[in-house]
Amino acid sequence: MQPAQKKFLLRFVVALGAFYLLVAIQPVNDRVVVPFTELLVRVSTVLLAAIGEETQSVGTVIQSPAFAVDVKNGCNGIEAALLLVAAMLAFPASPKQRALGIAAGLGLIQGVNLFRIVSLFWLGVHHRNVFELFHAAVWQTALILLAVGIFLAWSRRAAGGGTGSGGGPVEARA
Amino acid sequence: MRLALRVLLGFLAGLALWWLATPAYDRVLAGVAEGAIRAFERPRATRLYAEDRRLVIDRADFPSTSDRPSLPLDDLTFDVILLLALAATTRGLLRDRAMKGLALSCCVLFALHVLAVVASVEGFYATRLGAWSAAHYGAFSRNLWATAVHFWRFVGCYAAAFLLWWFLVREAPAASTASRAPSGRNSSRAASAGAPSRASRPRGKG
Repeated sequence: MQPAQKKFLLRFVVALGAFYLLVAIQPVNDRVVVPFTELLVRVSTVLLAAIGEETQSVGTVIQSPAFAVDVKNGCNGIEAALLLVAAMLAFPASPKQRALGIAAGLGLIQGVNLFRIVSLFWLGVHHRNVFELFHAAVWQTALILLAVGIFLAWSRRAAGGGTGSGGGPVEARA
Repeated sequence: MRLALRVLLGFLAGLALWWLATPAYDRVLAGVAEGAIRAFERPRATRLYAEDRRLVIDRADFPSTSDRPSLPLDDLTFDVILLLALAATTRGLLRDRAMKGLALSCCVLFALHVLAVVASVEGFYATRLGAWSAAHYGAFSRNLWATAVHFWRFVGCYAAAFLLWWFLVREAPAASTASRAPSGRNSSRAASAGAPSRASRPRGKG
């Protein structure tokens, strides 16, 4: 393993551990994570109403006469966000590249996560037999794959010097 | 587009493999985790077995008439889908180096799954058995096991699959290529840190 790879690994593990501890602290959870999750739930309820589902939100719960889900950590996209931010901070890049990457990445992850919550609720109402499979395996994996994909695309640009031209090869720029 | 297709195929293959192999895999996992737990407990009371994609916890000192608690195993093992989907993005996956890396990654992931099961069982003992938990586990132990389980489920399982792929399976950046890249401090460090990339392609003509 090259020294730069060791540095990436160390930074990633330290950043991930630090972020995990941060969101695991009860006051942070109560004042940041839970209100954020409630916001996701309210937006999801609006989106579900737009596709004809009769739902209402109560705290972090989305409920309808047929089905209810409690959106918790693991379903609010924070785990994917933590991984993405830790990887972007560990990777060598300028502060501007990092800031842009993190902002765009988090926006994309949360946009897709809203779709995940809405689709899972819809599956719970209409196809309960596959809800657990999609909840536990399919969507979790897909969201992390999205985070990794965002990181790869961003790191390609960062490695190319952030040219904004699709991240040309380093050699081509040499 | 081809990359997205490869991710999708890897994801579907991983999902199918995980779903079909899980019953057998869970049995092996339960057996190895039971051995690991019993190696350190006195008296050796824990019995683990897999049933309906869950881990059933039995102890010699549980009343024979009480229900046996169980924990979901899918939550602990589905990261193999992520590893296989990421592996599918690797160019030259079927070559020796990548296949060896994938095999090694699967072995490491299995070891991590065993640790995750051990932590889950200890976490259950430490926090879910009322007075028995308080009598056998101190505050530090309870927090340690509970945190270990939560960390693994929340981010650890994903980070493990990502790091295994990043360091053991993914196409390695060519060190010589990286050292030739003079286009800025970040660029050259990024290439050696493993920028996925065109940066690691062999230099073309022209």
